[in-house]
Amino acid sequence: MPDRIFAAALAVVTLIYGALAFFVISAPFQYDPLGPEAWPRLLSVAMLLCLIGLLWRPATRDFDVDGPSWARLALVLALLVGYAVLFQPLGFILSTALFAAITSRLLGAAWPRAALFGVLIGAGGYLLCVGLLDLNLPAGPLPRL
Amino acid sequence: MMEVLSGLGTGFSVALTPFNLMLVLGGCFAGTLIGALPGIGPINGVAILLPIAYGLGFPPESALILLAGIYYGAEYGGRISSILLNVPGDAGAVMTTLDGNPMARNGQAGKALSLSAVASFVGGTVSVVLMSLFGPVLASFGVKFQPSDYVALMVFAFACLASLVGSSPVKTLIGALIGLMLATVGVDANTGVQRYSFGIPDLLAGIDFLIVVIGLFGMAELFHLVESQVRGRLSTVPIDKSFVTWADLARTKWTILRSSLIGFIIGVLPGTGASVASAVAYGTEKRMAGAGGANFGKGDIRGLAAPEAANNGSAGGALVPMLTLGIPGSGTTAILLGALLMFNVTPGPMLFAQRPEIAWGLIASMYIGNVALLVLNLPLVGLFARMLTIPQHYLTPLIAILAFIGIYSIVGNPFDLYMIIGLGVFGWILRKLDFALAPVILGFVLGSLFENNLRRALSISGGDWRILFSTVDSLVLYALAVAVVVVPIWLSRRSRRFAAVAEDE
Repeated sequence: MPDRIFAAALAVVTLIYGALAFFVISAPFQYDPLGPEAWPRLLSVAMLLCLIGLLWRPATRDFDVDGPSWARLALVLALLVGYAVLFQPLGFILSTALFAAITSRLLGAAWPRAALFGVLIGAGGYLLCVGLLDLNLPAGPLPRL
Repeated sequence: MMEVLSGLGTGFSVALTPFNLMLVLGGCFAGTLIGALPGIGPINGVAILLPIAYGLGFPPESALILLAGIYYGAEYGGRISSILLNVPGDAGAVMTTLDGNPMARNGQAGKALSLSAVASFVGGTVSVVLMSLFGPVLASFGVKFQPSDYVALMVFAFACLASLVGSSPVKTLIGALIGLMLATVGVDANTGVQRYSFGIPDLLAGIDFLIVVIGLFGMAELFHLVESQVRGRLSTVPIDKSFVTWADLARTKWTILRSSLIGFIIGVLPGTGASVASAVAYGTEKRMAGAGGANFGKGDIRGLAAPEAANNGSAGGALVPMLTLGIPGSGTTAILLGALLMFNVTPGPMLFAQRPEIAWGLIASMYIGNVALLVLNLPLVGLFARMLTIPQHYLTPLIAILAFIGIYSIVGNPFDLYMIIGLGVFGWILRKLDFALAPVILGFVLGSLFENNLRRALSISGGDWRILFSTVDSLVLYALAVAVVVVPIWLSRRSRRFAAVAEDE
């Protein structure tokens, strides 16, 4: 069943992809026999054939994720998005310290250790990456190194 | 022969400069550390460290040497978690757990680890020697390839993929097509027409290769870890004082050599890498052992040595088609190919002639990397094994932070961070549904090469599709493509018929 749902969803995406290839994408002028639309057309047809095959004969039985796992996955996803949102405005040190502390706390570390981990990773990571390796990371409101 | 020797001379003069030597050692060390993290296989390790290696701003040959070291190190580090934890980091390490983990539980953990280090070393060395012999030959053959031959080569590569990799051929093809479709996003280089970028400026240049790799491998791995964490704790077998003996090596020497060869040959086939090689080598050894093979799966040293040698044999073999034809031989080499392209180095037949310092420097660094790994691993395995005890609640945020650092430091665009999260969710779903992720990345890397060669071939012929079947080379490749799909089906039918006959008797 999960295979069928996935195949159906991917088929919708492929149909849109194919429709764009067949009706929208075109070059204003071209000298070559194959334009920019030919390859996506081929791909969309091949993909639809494969998806029909998967719909016909699905292989995976069940998706097998229980309630607590879903909750934890959703939480981690939310934390990641939050980290991405704050990464530039807050700068690497603050956003990373927050993300590392909260994530490790939620996944089972005790508060003091989680906080220590966050501070170490935020400050240590910045010193290592910017000071030593000269990588480009956002400084945020804190002064640049 | 002279050509090979002078090439190796060039290579070693590049790889033995103090700076590059340090990079090989550092890469092996970092690769082993990250490969030893529970559940993180070589492909994830290389994926997570790739953008950081790129951001360091080294010259291309140095960066590649660093990456090759990481690749090698991660291949080895993955074995530690397979043996001590019974958690394979990737599909290629599954076979290692079959006999490696029972050995560890029988009080031979030290022996299992040191034997796998020696087997890996032999496998890696055999394959790199074969690679330096055959690489230039294949390259001089590939120089004559026309666009239509490349199209045939791609068809062969995807036929190999579909037939040999993953749980079902249809799913493998779907994975490859997802990769090919992702590769079409962005401005078409030939006509300047926008495709699937929906006016989003961040997508005009296409989806960056690093974003796909980090998203599908690094971030998807993170979600996988979070999901499996809830399901109970992993238990590590402690390392003991046992060590591999000469008697063990004497008993396994033919196993190791045979498996190295098998690994190399399977590695050379485009698309198939360590997972197929180790499975075939393990099966071959078990069959050859006959009645003496009853212990396989319960801690037989041959059952550990075979997949380990084949694994590293295929790692070298997979680099052959990548360096000489521009077609990666496995998922991990697809990542290395993408890395080469980022440095504006186009792998292919001309690489040996035009950029010998890169081609041969990489080969020479693999010789050195092999030795470095053996030297690092025999004494330091205890240190690497400590990585296994890093609690999951620190490991999970650490992976995310490494991925964010790597992606952000490329161009400093926060949009990329959302992309890797999205692709991570998508990759996790694919994994849950038993899709192999390697075909996706192969499709993504090969997409523009496939399309451009097809378009070029048809412009040469003025739109006549018969050009695709016009040369001997291409016809041979199509025949091989058909063979690689038909032969396994035929073999399994035959063995089933034999089984049926045997039951009748």
